[in-house]
Amino acid sequence: MIKECLVIRIRELKLNTNIWAMLSMVSILFITLPNLNILSNVFNEPNENWLHIKEFLLKEYVINTLIIVIFTGFFTVVIGTSLAWIISIYDFPLRSFLKWGLILPLAIPPYIAAYTYTGLINYTGLIQSTLRNKFNISVNQSYTDIMSIEGSIFIFTMFLFPYVYTITRAFIAKQSASLIETARVLGRSPLAIFWFVILPLSRAAIIGGTSLVILEVINDYGVVQYFGVTTFSTAIFKAWFSLSDVDTAIKLAGILMVIVFGILLLEKILRGGKKYSYTTTKVRPITRIKLSGLKSALAFGYSAIIFGLGFLIPSFQLIHWAIITYNKVFDAAFLQLMLNSLLTASVASALIITIALIIANYSRISHSIISKIIARLTVMGYSIPGAVIAIGVIVFFIAIDNNLFWLYKWVKEDSVKLVLSTSVFMLIFAYVIRFIGIGFNSVESGFEKVGKKFFEASRTLGMSVTQTFFKVDVGMIAPAILTGFILAFVDIMKELPLTLILRPFNFETLATKAYQYAVDELIQEASIPSLIIISISFISVYLFHRVADREEN
Amino acid sequence: MYVEIVGLNFRYRKSHDKIIKNFSLEISSGEIISVIGESGSGKSTILRLIAGLEIPESGIIKVKNRIMVDETTFINPEKRGIGMVFQDYALFPHKTVEGNIRFGLNALSSQKQKIRVEEVLHLVNLTAYKKRYPYELSGGQQQRVALARALAAKPALLLMDEPFSNLDRELQNKIRDELKILIKQTNTTTIFVTHDREDAKALADRIIILNKGEVVKTGEAKVALA
Ligand SMILES: Nc1ncnc2c1ncn2[C@@H]1O[C@H](COP(=O)(O)OP(=O)(O)O)[C@@H](O)[C@H]1O
Ligand SMILES: [Mg+2]
Repeated sequence: MIKECLVIRIRELKLNTNIWAMLSMVSILFITLPNLNILSNVFNEPNENWLHIKEFLLKEYVINTLIIVIFTGFFTVVIGTSLAWIISIYDFPLRSFLKWGLILPLAIPPYIAAYTYTGLINYTGLIQSTLRNKFNISVNQSYTDIMSIEGSIFIFTMFLFPYVYTITRAFIAKQSASLIETARVLGRSPLAIFWFVILPLSRAAIIGGTSLVILEVINDYGVVQYFGVTTFSTAIFKAWFSLSDVDTAIKLAGILMVIVFGILLLEKILRGGKKYSYTTTKVRPITRIKLSGLKSALAFGYSAIIFGLGFLIPSFQLIHWAIITYNKVFDAAFLQLMLNSLLTASVASALIITIALIIANYSRISHSIISKIIARLTVMGYSIPGAVIAIGVIVFFIAIDNNLFWLYKWVKEDSVKLVLSTSVFMLIFAYVIRFIGIGFNSVESGFEKVGKKFFEASRTLGMSVTQTFFKVDVGMIAPAILTGFILAFVDIMKELPLTLILRPFNFETLATKAYQYAVDELIQEASIPSLIIISISFISVYLFHRVADREEN
Repeated sequence: MYVEIVGLNFRYRKSHDKIIKNFSLEISSGEIISVIGESGSGKSTILRLIAGLEIPESGIIKVKNRIMVDETTFINPEKRGIGMVFQDYALFPHKTVEGNIRFGLNALSSQKQKIRVEEVLHLVNLTAYKKRYPYELSGGQQQRVALARALAAKPALLLMDEPFSNLDRELQNKIRDELKILIKQTNTTTIFVTHDREDAKALADRIIILNKGEVVKTGEAKVALA
């Protein structure tokens, strides 16, 4: 039997070794090499900078990062699950608006929120000047110092909690109508049901959402740098830009990567193999409890305050600034950087979707272990912080340039040595690594939904795998392809840390420009590029929500 | 023999048990064979093996003296010239009736494709529905489109997986007779799978009874089912 198994596996291998397998393997090689490069260089001979950092600074990076991660994790769970519960089970004024309004904070990247809030509450900001001029109240400045660890936690919490909220709410809607009703019939109060039924049951969903939050926090550079908090990200930037010390940057990036893998592992253990998912078939909706009086006001007030802090207030502030500054900001240079953003994001997203299609199609057709590993590796990039990928990619490209120098000289006699590593190509390459997971997930779920029967029908009608792909598959999963493209596009538009490290000299995008304005204390001028980014993100939030919602109903 | 299947063995990956055990079958040209068995006995799997959608552990399949699979050969499904009507028809939802039928006629010139589409549409009596999409058709009509699609390229062998299971009773009897006439008319060698003895009796020249992946009885329809 073992021999037969082997024979059949070898035969399958032969049958599966086609253009799809080859392309998938080449793609995955390029996707993983830069990251492997980091891991393999972690143990290089330490230099003086590194010894200095290890002795005096590393502890601070670790502690700051940990404090922010733990508190943000805690607060997002509290806010995310409580809102999910309230929205799922109670009826109160504006509930259905808030149900999706509470996702909107995700459309505002935390770094934009960080300087918006700074501008809003600093001495010259709207709040303090109103208090001063209208009410003659002056505020103790130490109360309003948002540029701190606490401030970072506040920003991350307010703008990332929707990850926990959406996943948990979808889970409650899916899984628990009958459970809640049973518990209710047994005479348990809603609060008791929340504690003893819903929380334990939604564990996997909550942990899944929280780990997304934590990965975003670790990925962040804009917020902590702007607030002057030193974390791993800022340390990597410092090693790269101020010290020009590649080895130290690699070491820090390597440690951060190991931390991220640790978090992913922890997530797996805590989840205990359970999966949360949006895709179960029809479920009965929960019969909501109508609230009135004080309870209704409380539920509404709580949700509305979070919505206000996480979306309404910063949006209005940005719009206000935009009205003040738009004729100063809009000029030819601004058009150019908008074009830069649109072009790089389009090209990278198109590449992402192409590679995602290749790998997803291969892994769907071949059941081999190799294809499973490739699929896993493909989504890995999305967990790895931008700064880490950036360092990996830059080291990789410098090595390529060194090896191709002879070719450059052959093409053009007086060629410089660094060609690829000073081009926008490197940036696009890094975007693909970081965001291919998003495109892949979309495409893969598209394939899953369609199933294999049309593929098989096409095969029996005389079409090869490749012909089937173009004549059947692409058409059938077109919506998934579009969704994947948009989601990747939006994430690339928002991306900051990677772009800051890898952009060519003088190459600005909307995100880097917004950030630059803020750092140069031109917070009001930052509003226009910020609003453009937020509007585009809005599309992806809407899209994602609509898809999830449709599946729910 | 027109179709020769010898000693077919198969198990799905991850499944421990053999799903098909030592399955052999010979069919002469133009014969209609019915494979009967309980649900889960491996009927669909046999069709999938013949169509080339699964790879057997061992065994030989020959059609018209051409080896489809043996120790060293494996012909891909698209190269086998074997038509299949799937249990749920698997009509492409984004193509019209005409588009579905044309799909398998890639090798022909556009002109010839058109002619052939008209021919098979006429055969299954659906000429008026050419421009419709699958969701605009009744279950019986969908089934006939699937049949037309499979027959269009004049397959050496036609496989049908529970062709009546998605139709209501009344329709079943009517379609059964039509189907037999149609298959005989085109002289297509056919294997169809069913769990319904009546269907088998009405349609098949010969039947195979399958139990847990093994052939337990075979013979002429009236005799074997008596
Ligand atoms: N893709 C698969 N993977 C593993 N086992 C399968 C798969 N498809 C079918 N089986 C199993 O193989 C057996 C035969 O299935 P099938 O050929 O579909 O039976 P039938 O068509 O006679 O109802 C069943 O026990 C079924 O559970
Ligand atoms: Mg079956």
